[in-house]
Amino acid sequence: MATKVSLKSKGKGGKGSKGSDEKSTVQCLKEWSTWAVKKAKVVTHYGFIPLVIIIGMNSDPKPQLYQLLSPV
Amino acid sequence: MAGLVPPGTAIPADASKTAHTKADEKIDYMNLPCPIPYEEIHREALMSLKPETFEGLRFDFTKGLNQKFSLSHSVLMGPTELPSQSGETIKIPTAHYEFGANFIDPNLMLIGRMLTDGRLNARVKWDLTDNLTVKANAQLTNEPHMSHCMVNFDYKGKDYRSQFQMGNAALFGASYIQSVTPHLSLGGEVFWAGQHRKSGVGYAGRYETDKMVATGQVASTGMVALSYVQKVSEKVSLATDFMYNYMSRDVTASVGYDYILRQSRLRGKIDSNGCTAAYLEERLNMGLNFILSAEIDHKKNDYKFGFGLTVG
Repeated sequence: MATKVSLKSKGKGGKGSKGSDEKSTVQCLKEWSTWAVKKAKVVTHYGFIPLVIIIGMNSDPKPQLYQLLSPV
Repeated sequence: MAGLVPPGTAIPADASKTAHTKADEKIDYMNLPCPIPYEEIHREALMSLKPETFEGLRFDFTKGLNQKFSLSHSVLMGPTELPSQSGETIKIPTAHYEFGANFIDPNLMLIGRMLTDGRLNARVKWDLTDNLTVKANAQLTNEPHMSHCMVNFDYKGKDYRSQFQMGNAALFGASYIQSVTPHLSLGGEVFWAGQHRKSGVGYAGRYETDKMVATGQVASTGMVALSYVQKVSEKVSLATDFMYNYMSRDVTASVGYDYILRQSRLRGKIDSNGCTAAYLEERLNMGLNFILSAEIDHKKNDYKFGFGLTVG
């Protein structure tokens, strides 16, 4: 707290460093959201079809496992 | 004129028409039907005039494991067009296999298709409540920056529908359509594309009766699209479409027909760009369909013929 007050009283220099603090929060948020979207894309790409298959195999009436692979 | 003949008495044919119009005039504006969704406003015209023509061989096999869940295997062998700078069309022969899984429930629909080159096509439709639906559509590829995703939130009211959509690359859109009379519905849409810094507004109207559907759409991107579909009989309908872009001065008009017969469905169209197309689906047996597709572009000298079989 005391450090912050002293930075404020420095005037322009203080304002500048406070501004860069804010910027880095927004940058952090952007970076995290980009990282999250990238991971979500990979998860969807590999996991969507298995998800549909799992949901389908657990629906009523429950189909058998061999029916998944056989052409009949 | 409408007030002369009281309804309910034994009336001759033309007087019965006036009695009918008198009943029609008493439209209950509180009980209008729900309009069709804004993006499907040209639905009948698109079904008749834009069949999914393809080139080469197509084989689709759908295997149902139970009422809701099915797997599909699809093989497509044929030339695919590459986008080229010059006017010539460049085609490269390709073959791919597509595996699909579909889960269709009254409340939840999941459709996934995976191609051999690693592309995934995923569609999700989830009815959260009776009136609110979430739809998502994604095309994911292994190449960076080539994937698209679009999420829509639809709210269906008593006689209106509204939709809000978000896409990747900061694409936002909203649309609203309202039934104004039992036959007429009007709607509008707004969209904003963040990456290209473009925004646009559009309006659309649709007038439909038992025998015909007429739609019109205008957008600030310069597009004007009008269409008219006439249902001549149970089996035959004729459609015509007019598209005009007042920014790029591009005009296209097309006329087509749609014959829905007992064992087959034949659609054909001819265009003002010198392009004619036809699409035939013939039901050979229960669950076995034979497809023929042809698209001849006289202006570009591009001829596409395809045949296929759909099982299940």
